[in-house]
Amino acid sequence: MAKHKTEALKCWNKAKELREKYYKDYASAHDRGGIRWTGGAWSFDAIPYGLGDDVYPLTGEPYAASIAFNKEFSMKCLEATEAKGWARDLCSYMRNYWGSMYLNKFLFGGPYPKPDFGFQDHICCSHSKWYQVVSEHEKFPYFSIDLSVGPYKDIQGNPHKVRYIVEQMHESIEFMEKVTGREYDDEKLIEAVKTDCRSTSTWAKICELNKNRPAPLEEKSMYSLYVFGTLSKAKKEFADFYDELYDEVKDRVDRGVAAIEDERCRLMSDTQPPWGFLKLFRYLETFGALSIGSLYTFGLIGNWETKPDGSFCARTTPMELGVSIDSRDKALEVLADWTLSRPEWQHFYDPSLKTEMMLQIAKQWHVDGIMLHLNRGCEGLSTGIMQNRNGLAKSGIPIMTYEGNMGDEREFDMNRTMARIESFMETLDLQPLEKA
Amino acid sequence: MVTIGIDVGAKNAKILILKDGEILISKYRESGFDQAGVTTALLDETLAELKLTRDDITSICSTGAGRKAVTFANEVVTEVSATSRATFEMYPEVRTVIDVGAEEGRAIRCGERGKVEDFAINEKCAAGSGAFTEAMARALELTVEELGKISLDSSASVPMNAQCAVFAESEVISLLHANTAKQDIAKAIHDAIASRIVSMTRRVGLNKPIALVGGMARNVGFVHSLNAAIEDEVLIPDSPEMTAAYGAALIAAERAA
Amino acid sequence: MFSQFETWYRDRHEYARKWKDRTGGKVFGCFCSYVPEEILVAANILPVRVLGSHEPQDVTEQHLFGMFCPFCRDVLAQGLKGRYEYLDGITLAQACIHLRQAYRAWEENVEHPFSYYLPHPMHVASPHAVPYLKEELKNFRKAVEEHTGVTLTDEDLDRGIRILNENRAAMHDLYELRKGPAPKVSGLEAMWVTVSSTWIDKEEHTAEIRRVLAEIDGRDKDFGEGTRLMFVGSENDDTDFLGMVEMVGATVVVDDHCTGTRYFWNQTPEMDDRIEAIAKRYVERPACPAKDHVVRTRFPHILKLAQEYDVAGVILIQQKFCDPHETDMVPLRSFLEENGFPCLFLEFDVTVPMGQFRIRVEAFLEMLMEEDLF
Ligand code: SF4
Repeated sequence: MAKHKTEALKCWNKAKELREKYYKDYASAHDRGGIRWTGGAWSFDAIPYGLGDDVYPLTGEPYAASIAFNKEFSMKCLEATEAKGWARDLCSYMRNYWGSMYLNKFLFGGPYPKPDFGFQDHICCSHSKWYQVVSEHEKFPYFSIDLSVGPYKDIQGNPHKVRYIVEQMHESIEFMEKVTGREYDDEKLIEAVKTDCRSTSTWAKICELNKNRPAPLEEKSMYSLYVFGTLSKAKKEFADFYDELYDEVKDRVDRGVAAIEDERCRLMSDTQPPWGFLKLFRYLETFGALSIGSLYTFGLIGNWETKPDGSFCARTTPMELGVSIDSRDKALEVLADWTLSRPEWQHFYDPSLKTEMMLQIAKQWHVDGIMLHLNRGCEGLSTGIMQNRNGLAKSGIPIMTYEGNMGDEREFDMNRTMARIESFMETLDLQPLEKA
Repeated sequence: MVTIGIDVGAKNAKILILKDGEILISKYRESGFDQAGVTTALLDETLAELKLTRDDITSICSTGAGRKAVTFANEVVTEVSATSRATFEMYPEVRTVIDVGAEEGRAIRCGERGKVEDFAINEKCAAGSGAFTEAMARALELTVEELGKISLDSSASVPMNAQCAVFAESEVISLLHANTAKQDIAKAIHDAIASRIVSMTRRVGLNKPIALVGGMARNVGFVHSLNAAIEDEVLIPDSPEMTAAYGAALIAAERAA
Repeated sequence: MFSQFETWYRDRHEYARKWKDRTGGKVFGCFCSYVPEEILVAANILPVRVLGSHEPQDVTEQHLFGMFCPFCRDVLAQGLKGRYEYLDGITLAQACIHLRQAYRAWEENVEHPFSYYLPHPMHVASPHAVPYLKEELKNFRKAVEEHTGVTLTDEDLDRGIRILNENRAAMHDLYELRKGPAPKVSGLEAMWVTVSSTWIDKEEHTAEIRRVLAEIDGRDKDFGEGTRLMFVGSENDDTDFLGMVEMVGATVVVDDHCTGTRYFWNQTPEMDDRIEAIAKRYVERPACPAKDHVVRTRFPHILKLAQEYDVAGVILIQQKFCDPHETDMVPLRSFLEENGFPCLFLEFDVTVPMGQFRIRVEAFLEMLMEEDLF
């Protein structure tokens, strides 16, 4: 007997269309005289929007995740990269992306669409190298912003840290003007910064709704939704979509619509999943278990803060605080400060900061068990993960780990992982549903 | 009450029959490709030996990597739970059990009444399992048994890196070329696996006394190296490879009660 | 002639303990060659670079995921095993994310009175790096002052800078001896000197180099027979491997390692603002690949070394799983080969399969000899 009613998400198709359009728009931008640039999911994508309304990014991580989802093409890409001599243990997103470039094949049809410039930022060691290699191969100009200022908690009292980033941002604008020959529009920048703050806080608000029981969303669907933030945080279309999505999920909560029929156990995960094997999450459902999310899906793009009452919530936007953003410098400063508090950036300096946030999620989202993906494909998000594990274990919540790779299926063993999940379900006293 | 535990591993199928808490019999045989056929035959033969029929049996619980092949089982548990349960029965004071079989090494932290509190499993790489000793023995042209025995004759400590079986194999060959004595290489191999297993065990907590189960517990060389690494003597049951089957039979009895 | 350096190389812990007893000073462990030692020396602290011990171990897996490099795990093992219990403080100048974890896990599990994570610009080619690092160094200075209770004056900083610069100059003089056709110093000897310089009291170390330099003209042996090689890679203190390479017919004459030339290559300039001078020194030193952005500064520098030291070939030493080096190796290799320097690529772990590597090195040397013939 079904305990909760479930419904498909109404905006699911729209999400699919928006995503397809993003890649098509990028590929065809030059036909319309527009600008194409490539960089990371964490690039300050608000900045290029100051060049005009016809600016289209191609962000590497979600593009590579889409490749990984297509196992056959992914294998070709990985092999093309290996054939050039690159090590197999490098970031698997980077290897998939490079492979697509070496093969000169765009996953969404046609040849690899060469960008007009590269624009990246640098917190993971692979970030800047990734496009250093791409820009050398494809011969385009490249700019990257170094973020090595330490965790957000150290920003206060150290204005030089934000300034370091802002100075580089100013330089990046000069760079873009030079390589595109366009004049930069500060009004457009200001709008884009506001949009970035709006979309990243709205995404956090959507995730907050998963504090409810039953959870209105499970993580597998969240992967298809958080992706817009990784494609472009400062794109108005996407921010509007998140507003719409928020209303729908809120409505689900009000009407008691659940992600899965029989919610018996709430899990939390961490790091990118093995993209080619998302059926792992369906397997959890056969035990009445679902993943309510992770610091990864919540805080890769979403922006959060701990409120005075201890609750972990969407960060209040500069607009809500009445900050006036009236100049290029101010816009850049707001953008730098806003972004530096991103949850998934803190462990690059100190894993205990991540453990703290994960414990907050575990508590406030009523988590019964934790599944950590020891992801060989991403050195960045695996940084400190064993220390996270130990910190979480101290709280007494059952934890399991499994090894894999988000983008290289040769490093993931589905059957053994399922066996491990089954053992974990036993420790949580969960039986397969048809038996129970 | 008669219950049965069947453990279908990567290499062998094992059966153990329990009557009111007493072990009546245990047997094993190679599981091969036809796991379902082999286990059925094994069950029928074993029952015939005891002059029992299937009707005398209250419950059958299967475990092991091939547990789902045992279609006639009415209970299924993973080998992690089964091993933990059996360990509790044999050594109620033990909180850490190490289980090293042909394909996998595992460490389990057991709680009250053998409930699993935490577990770690070695990853895809075979460097922490029985398959590793087999590969290394082959490289040295020895049987696994000989490999275990001769390593006891060595007191040398030759560093070897067992992060990965392929890399380790090339180290073994290098050592051979360098005229390192076979017994010293054998010990280096066992030290390396022991180190890998202890490393993994530390993830769940290395709380003594520690029990060692699974087929590798029969390898004297490995046991020696493991004891040295944990600075203690592991507890080993009489039939270490039967542990999971025993646990499954116990769980079958419990759930039937 | 070099036995003192060899002893220092082997007995690093004993040396540090005795130094403490003798001077009553503090010893800080440095996790990366970017730690500004000038400031520590100015505060009478002995900086010691934390390195591994090349032994298998079973203590790090629960703290550090196995996908990270063997070096960072080896380093962490030293802490967990209590080998550095005498340290009064530890500090990391922001390094690659591998080493950061060794530092954080160490900090979490081993008690020391002082621990400091020093943010460091990762784009050393950027015009914003020096002004930014200067501010971070001010913070670091303040933390050191608070910990020691001593306010550092310009004179103190000058002394720190002078002591470091003198050591760097002495190392350069030693490396000069390796340039000519008949080097008076072997690669192994040079490695004892450079690696030990990362933990020996610099004044003592400089004096010992100067003593050797004064005597070396009279040395009756040289290493001119060997095929001249360069080593390129991350940290490398594997004397066994280097010894083997020189035994089979090579002479290693120069390197690009952070325990070698990258560590001592450039001087801290004289400037009114001492902290800015130190910042400038670290930003402008030969870059670690993790910091070589956005424009590459590293490749031309390596090429220059290869040419100046007139090497026949280069051994590229890759620590398994080290991402910054892995992302440089492919273009670096083609860059060197295009410029006429054949390369041998080897992947290193905590211990290396010596037999196999020997065969590869020998084959490489044979190849280089053949090139000579034709
Ligand atoms: S390793 Fe992870 S964090 Fe680093 S570039 Fe790749 S995906 Fe991003």
